[in-house]
Amino acid sequence: MSRREVAGFRNIDWMTFSLYISMVIIGWMMIYAAGYEDGGSYGIFNLDTPVGKQTMWISLSILILLITTVVDWKFWRTFSYFIYAFALVLLVGVLFFGVKVKGATSWIRLGGFTLQPSEFAKFATCLAMASYLSAFNTNLSRFRHQIVASLLFLLPVGLILMQPDAGSAIVFFGFMVVLYREGMPSILYVILFATIALFILALMYNPSHVVIALFFLGILLLINGFKDKMYYLMGFLSWSALSFLGVYYGYTRYVLIAYAIALIVFSGLHWRKGRYRLVKSLVPLIILGSVFTYSANYGFHNYLKSHQQDRLNVWLRPELCDPHGSLYNVLQSKLAIGSGGLQGKGFLEGTMTKLNYVPEQSTDFIFCTIGEEQGFIGSFGIIILFFLLVSRIIFLAERQKSDFSRLYAYGIAGILFVHFFVNIGMTMGLVPIIGIPLPFISYGGSSLMSFTLMLGVLLKLDANHLNY
Amino acid sequence: MNIKNEVLYRVYIVLGLVMLGATLIFFKAFKISYLEGERWRKMGKDLYVQYQPVEAERGNILAEDGSLLVTSLPFFEIRMDPNSSGMKEEDFFENLDTLAYCLATYVDNSHTVGGYRDLLLRKRTEGERNLLIRKDVTYDELAKIKSFPLFNKGRYKGGLIVKQQSKRSRPYKMLARRTIGYVRDGAKPVGLEGYFDDVLGGKAGKQLMQRVGKDIWIPVNDLTEIEPQNGNDIVTTIDINLQDISQQALSRALQHHNASHGTAIVMEVKTGAIRAIANIGKTEDGWWETYNYAVGSAIEPGSTFKLASMLALLEDGYVTLEDSISINRGKMTFYDEEMIDATSQSFSLDSTTVREAFEISSNVGIAKLIDRHYNKGDNAARFIEQLKNMNLHLLTDVEIDGEAKPYIKEAYNEDDDWSGITLPWMAIGYELTITPLQLLTFYNTVANGGKMMKPYLVSDILRFGETVQHFKPTVVKKQIASKQSIQAVRELLEGVVERGTAKRLQSNRFRFAGKTGTAQFDYLKKNRRQRYRASFAGYFPAENPIYSCMVMISEPRENGFYGADVAGPVFREIADRCFETKVDMHQPVNNFPKPVYTANTLPLRDAGQSKEMRFLLDYLELPVAETTGAEWSVLEEDDGKLAMGSRTAIENLIPNVLGMGLRDALFVLENRGLKVKFSGSGKVVRQSIKPGKRIRGQTIKLTLK
Repeated sequence: MSRREVAGFRNIDWMTFSLYISMVIIGWMMIYAAGYEDGGSYGIFNLDTPVGKQTMWISLSILILLITTVVDWKFWRTFSYFIYAFALVLLVGVLFFGVKVKGATSWIRLGGFTLQPSEFAKFATCLAMASYLSAFNTNLSRFRHQIVASLLFLLPVGLILMQPDAGSAIVFFGFMVVLYREGMPSILYVILFATIALFILALMYNPSHVVIALFFLGILLLINGFKDKMYYLMGFLSWSALSFLGVYYGYTRYVLIAYAIALIVFSGLHWRKGRYRLVKSLVPLIILGSVFTYSANYGFHNYLKSHQQDRLNVWLRPELCDPHGSLYNVLQSKLAIGSGGLQGKGFLEGTMTKLNYVPEQSTDFIFCTIGEEQGFIGSFGIIILFFLLVSRIIFLAERQKSDFSRLYAYGIAGILFVHFFVNIGMTMGLVPIIGIPLPFISYGGSSLMSFTLMLGVLLKLDANHLNY
Repeated sequence: MNIKNEVLYRVYIVLGLVMLGATLIFFKAFKISYLEGERWRKMGKDLYVQYQPVEAERGNILAEDGSLLVTSLPFFEIRMDPNSSGMKEEDFFENLDTLAYCLATYVDNSHTVGGYRDLLLRKRTEGERNLLIRKDVTYDELAKIKSFPLFNKGRYKGGLIVKQQSKRSRPYKMLARRTIGYVRDGAKPVGLEGYFDDVLGGKAGKQLMQRVGKDIWIPVNDLTEIEPQNGNDIVTTIDINLQDISQQALSRALQHHNASHGTAIVMEVKTGAIRAIANIGKTEDGWWETYNYAVGSAIEPGSTFKLASMLALLEDGYVTLEDSISINRGKMTFYDEEMIDATSQSFSLDSTTVREAFEISSNVGIAKLIDRHYNKGDNAARFIEQLKNMNLHLLTDVEIDGEAKPYIKEAYNEDDDWSGITLPWMAIGYELTITPLQLLTFYNTVANGGKMMKPYLVSDILRFGETVQHFKPTVVKKQIASKQSIQAVRELLEGVVERGTAKRLQSNRFRFAGKTGTAQFDYLKKNRRQRYRASFAGYFPAENPIYSCMVMISEPRENGFYGADVAGPVFREIADRCFETKVDMHQPVNNFPKPVYTANTLPLRDAGQSKEMRFLLDYLELPVAETTGAEWSVLEEDDGKLAMGSRTAIENLIPNVLGMGLRDALFVLENRGLKVKFSGSGKVVRQSIKPGKRIRGQTIKLTLK
């Protein structure tokens, strides 16, 4: 039973739409503020200034929004692979015909403007994944389908990495939310998060200490399997206290060996009692983890280029960094946000952002302008807006009758969330500095238009959420 | 777990993650802007943007006539920000070659065109924000640099950073260097620059500056937010000419006598304006103005102080100039200390007059007078009181920081080591200290008839050439002593030059008055090789003083050491040159009572054309008793008065040409067909053919004288 297609603005989700419009307006004002006093007359329709261009981009985005309302909602599902293929062609094309800006060939010049195919690719990939996963015979519990589904977003990631634009590439991992929702095995995510955590720990601390901690946890789990665990636990903990002292005084190597022996002894005890399963699953994991920890540390120091090391150091070990060198950006950004305090300096009153202290203050670091001029209240408002938007989209997703629409909505939610978290997180040093824009707010035509397109399609799909 | 639950579980996980992410961000934002806000704000304030002062242009220091003694010349430091955020990439590359060409051609040829191109490119990639192009660029050069491609787009789009600096420049170099002084970072301000720092310094402006590196700040905008207020100018009383004269004369004397240092000050008597103040000291690398000896160091003046002793004695009526006084052939013991005169003249004199004792600068004479009249009872206090009446214990408050305070002992004060010999030695200028300027102020007062003027160096403060503050001469004390006493000591000072120790310095063009001084260092230690301080203080012209002047030369080692030999000539040279250059000091030629021309002073028997003669006599305003209508006349005496007698010449007879000039004589004689031979020049005193003889075309010989 299929209902009649809903056209135009009827049945549109006004909450999502209002959130979208507020963000665009806030963004436009912040771009005006960030560029204010850059010198010269500053007309909002002057195409030589960021805010003037943004005015134009906003107009075009509204146009796109209007177009999406009139396009049949089934169009996107039908042409999803075609659009995806077109996006891939663009991504390949940009490698050959693109313009190099700041070291990355990620722009295509069209007339006086430059467009970023990777922005469009997000939309296309979202469509393609939704299409693939909603297909009748796709089953994510099957390995082959897992691989294909992953490849769908890893393919553009690979192409984007060749530009190279790591920031945009990372965003595509937002699609893992879709996969998770559709039944990708949880263990893969656990392993992934564990790996990332180990990697971070390995960089932040002495890897031997991390491995000792790993052994410690492992032994605790083994002890948990004993019947008279209190007895063992007391003994082990008191012994551990001693060995931590040893670590503190620099006998790390001997402590490590001691722990390894302890692990073998406890595993042996279990083994003799015939409890193979625990030992079989736990010991290889611990060994793998240890090996990974050491190799991550070794790889960081020997294979990563110094600017890549810097970037991770800025994030994880800022005390090692030069405040005027690698740490400069994030320090400036924190300074700007911090200087805003609770209430901010007021609209157009920010000095640090408007004086170009903060790098890219109208694009990637626009959150600083908000933080400086509107203070914590402003930052909080932005965070709330995004949180509401992402939650609302997830809510919308769950009410779709069509699998395609739901999957598409999840894709959009994932992408938006990654953008939101990484962008704002990086301005505050929560995540490494990754150059991606804050959706709807940052200056930039490609970003605004592609996000508008994504949202427009979502609104259109949702207007027909009772249709299959 | 059924499928539905599994899905629900996963949805919650996703929502939970979103919630977690948002919360993380929320707390981080809260932490940065609220919890750590204070710290970030302070850091931001201190480190990255600051209003920094923009130096105001320092005012000029002008001489009395408006010549520039010190001025500030603007210089510019040119830097470039190749990574200015407003600079467009295409602008940079488009203009790179031309800019490199301009820089290499017009600014600095240490790089080639290609070298500059590479430099700019390299610095741009390195992220340089403050590349030094050149220092010390003049205003004209700056105008040119500003027109270079790319730079013509300004600070923001073109990356041109211009930093104005100013340098103090002294067009007259060494002239009054120490008195003008300086203000430098980390050093105590000196001289007028220091004293008038507030006036000259102006008010610094403010500019928003951005920090781009360690201690490197670049202005954010092209314009300054608060324009600096430039400093005002000050007009000093320094007369460039006199200053130059004084400095040169002093410098020559110091070198001639191989002295360690010296000072020469010239003050205007009526106003106290300091017209010249030279301070020269010997340093390892030559003679320099390194210390303001005139103001900064109080010294034992020696004999020049006798003026004060005499004035005290006269004021208290203890002596008259003609009193007789025994000077014991220049030797006398006060308690256990022997005082010896420095002049050999004393050694032949048992007794003399007070006047002569002063003129020959007899230590014994003056010391004895003071000792006799004040060293009894508690009368010493009276002497000290007299000195204080002359303001000899006070600062002059001249506009130079660090003036040394005079040291005059309090009578019988043990803290001052007052002893029995204090008074006699004070009488001759020891056991007390005073600066040369303070002593000169005292002499100036005497020259000014007892009216003490405050010495001052600055007459006006100008703003844009308009006087905003004028400093009038200040009277410190209307009368430091009675007119009679002042008149008496002025006579004494004139006597010193006319008959006394400074006799050799006399000039026949003008009269001056003054007192020599030859002070000994450590005068109580007899066995040492003595070191001296030669000085001369006085004023000129003696009758109607215009300038007072003090010269002090410390430790002359060659060519004499007496005040009259070492310091006196400097005084004389300053006075001479002053007299030459200052027309107003000359007595006008006709500034005498009109002379009565008696007949015998007049050029009688001069003869000539009547018309011309009358014209001449009228011009000279000489009364003529009688005139004639004849063509030729001769000056005659008529009853003690001047008269013109007619000299008629009769046709065909030799005329009388005696008394005529050659021109007239030739005219008269040759018109009558005579041939003339002559010898000598002047008036005709003899003619070879007597007048009245018939003319026959003879040759006549004239003798002129």
